[in-house]
Amino acid sequence: MSDLEAFRAKAAAWCESMVPAFGKAARKGLSVEEDLALGRRYQKAKFDAGFAGINWPTEYGGQGLGHIEKITFEGEEMKHGFPNVYFGISLGMPVPVLMQFGADRDFVKERVVKALQGEEIWCQLFSEPSGGTDLAGLRTRAEPDGNGWKINGQKVWTSWAQYSDYGVIVVRTDPTVAKHKGLTYFWVDMKAPGVTVRPIKLAGGDSHVNEVFFDDVKISDDHRMSPVGGGFAVALTTLMIERYVATDSAGFGPHLDLFVDLAKDVKINGKPAIEDGRIRQQIARNYAMRAGLDSINRRARLMMQAGMTPGPEGSLNKLVAVRSRQKLSELALDLQGTDGFLFDEHASPKDDWASSWINAPTGRIAGGSDETLLNTIAERILGLPQDHRPDKGIPFNKIPA
Amino acid sequence: MSILHDEGQQAIATESRRVLEARISKDDLLPLLQTSGRYHEGFWTTAKEQGWTALALPEAYGGLDLGLVELGLIAHQAGRSLSGAPFLTSGFGAAKAIELLGTDAQKQRWLPGLASGEAIGAVAFAAGADPLPARPDLTCANGHIEGRARSVTAGLAADVAVVLADEAGTPVLALVDLAGVERSAIDSFDNSRLIADLRFAGTPAEVIATGPAARGAALQILTLQAVVTAHEQTGGAEALMEIARDYAVTRKAFGQPIGAFQSIKHRIAELYGLVELARANCIHAAARVDQADFITAAAAARLSATEAYDTAARDCVQIHGGIGVTWEIGLHLHMRRSRSLALEQGNSLFWEDILVDRLAGEAA
Repeated sequence: MSDLEAFRAKAAAWCESMVPAFGKAARKGLSVEEDLALGRRYQKAKFDAGFAGINWPTEYGGQGLGHIEKITFEGEEMKHGFPNVYFGISLGMPVPVLMQFGADRDFVKERVVKALQGEEIWCQLFSEPSGGTDLAGLRTRAEPDGNGWKINGQKVWTSWAQYSDYGVIVVRTDPTVAKHKGLTYFWVDMKAPGVTVRPIKLAGGDSHVNEVFFDDVKISDDHRMSPVGGGFAVALTTLMIERYVATDSAGFGPHLDLFVDLAKDVKINGKPAIEDGRIRQQIARNYAMRAGLDSINRRARLMMQAGMTPGPEGSLNKLVAVRSRQKLSELALDLQGTDGFLFDEHASPKDDWASSWINAPTGRIAGGSDETLLNTIAERILGLPQDHRPDKGIPFNKIPA
Repeated sequence: MSILHDEGQQAIATESRRVLEARISKDDLLPLLQTSGRYHEGFWTTAKEQGWTALALPEAYGGLDLGLVELGLIAHQAGRSLSGAPFLTSGFGAAKAIELLGTDAQKQRWLPGLASGEAIGAVAFAAGADPLPARPDLTCANGHIEGRARSVTAGLAADVAVVLADEAGTPVLALVDLAGVERSAIDSFDNSRLIADLRFAGTPAEVIATGPAARGAALQILTLQAVVTAHEQTGGAEALMEIARDYAVTRKAFGQPIGAFQSIKHRIAELYGLVELARANCIHAAARVDQADFITAAAAARLSATEAYDTAARDCVQIHGGIGVTWEIGLHLHMRRSRSLALEQGNSLFWEDILVDRLAGEAA
């Protein structure tokens, strides 16, 4: 058995052992607050077992292993539906950036360990009402205030802000230069005076995203994590941290097996739907597409194991998987006819077609919309030109509103 | 089993690409469309000289004992440069049938020639819309074949064919020496495929499999060929994606490259997605040969490769506008090839059924 296989076996055994306490059955019927409390206990158990911060340095509470071990663990972990969603953003982006750019190293170390233990949560304050994709067009401003800064403005779509202790934020510190040159990157205390968090209820019924208002929020200069005016580069680092995470060719919706089971179960014109050519074609097409994504992901893992950099095709997963999950979920509701009306707001998008369908649009927008991803593929991989950008090179305060 | 290509395999891909790019041009291929019965002799000479014909055949019979992964890499490059003859795939299918089912004498007789490329092989299973008919059109009795095998790719030039025939209600696979068999060329939209009707009139044949074994072996051969063809389709799709990209960065309209318009750049980005999914499925399928899930991996490769090549042919021409539909620019060579490869080795409808039967646990 290779070291990696041994690691996988150990991870799989540990995950199995956590199912009674933290699995789907244990979470059933819990309120979000109760589930979060359970999640914190899960994260602590994960830390104690040596599966938190797998590829982070040991001096910050990590395990000092490789990226391949991390995604190997995640591949096992995602089979069980543990309450880890609250820590995904926190440990995925803000905390690694803090680890890389935070000025006060003792403070950084304390925060990182508490975040790994599930005791503290960090959010990422990027998107604003005026734009999400156009990150550099943000309007929230920080002005010099004594030895520090004073923040005013509004962020939006901030995941888990209502439960967060800290956040990383990009703000405008100079409106007189081109838009991406006037930004600076800070961390903020989410409990500081002047910070107001308002949850936004989404179409599917859940409220994990928020509006966050900043009214004269004062921070000292040691909160700064980039040079003044150098915030955009750090923000890009954040977005590029881990292109290869444990991906899901089902687009975080139901597995195709569930669709096949449904098609065997229901009838069209008196015959099992699985015998209907229209249904068969969709099953076959979805299988071929998902098999392709799975193969891309397997190849990426093998390349990482061999110490190589995986190809850019890994960027296809979210684009291809989520939009096809949306259509397949529509068809699954069609298949059930009027029985498809049944809707459980607390059902999981991973095993319920209505839940998968109503939450799919969020997946096609969050973390880079389909259109943004297509632009990225076209420009970064294929070398096609950027879109026409009338605001390019113009001082931010001269851009026509 | 590894699905990363090793150094030798990477060298096969690089070298075959270099040779084909140097030796094949669309100007050689265009005239072949307007005649019947001609193929690109330079391509075939290259294939023989480079040992591509021998690649996946056993060493004992003049082969190189490599496998589907290596042949797939060649097929991908052949697809990129619009291979000038269909014999790599058809010869491989015929040779595999002989290798798997034939007697020593049959192997001695045919495999060395197929490996060197001196002999050309064909596979004739389909009857029109049915790639693998339960009741084949051909009949076999006492070692003789009767009937017409329709639209057999490479049939016009082949020396030997593996055919599916009906013997008193039971399917058989038979090996037929095509010397002296009457053939008539089919005028097709892709004439260098050398598609022909073969008329058998009491032609001597050697039965190599009977009953369910014959049908099973025919499906196995078809599956192997489908994986080779899927690589060829993926290569064609990749070439078209690159041609579209190159055109979109140079052609200007309204004061900017047309590739700056999202209607164009997103279309090309979508092609990239289709090509990479097909490529990933092809690499995986080639590495799963002889495993229990080979057929589902092959079906996935075939379906995604057909979709990639068809879509790339459609969109690449569209992105070019008027110049794209001219004879001279030659994009129609890919259009034609995308459809001829889609029809050979079982159409998408066939592979969809193969796949769903297995996913639903209903396969025989």
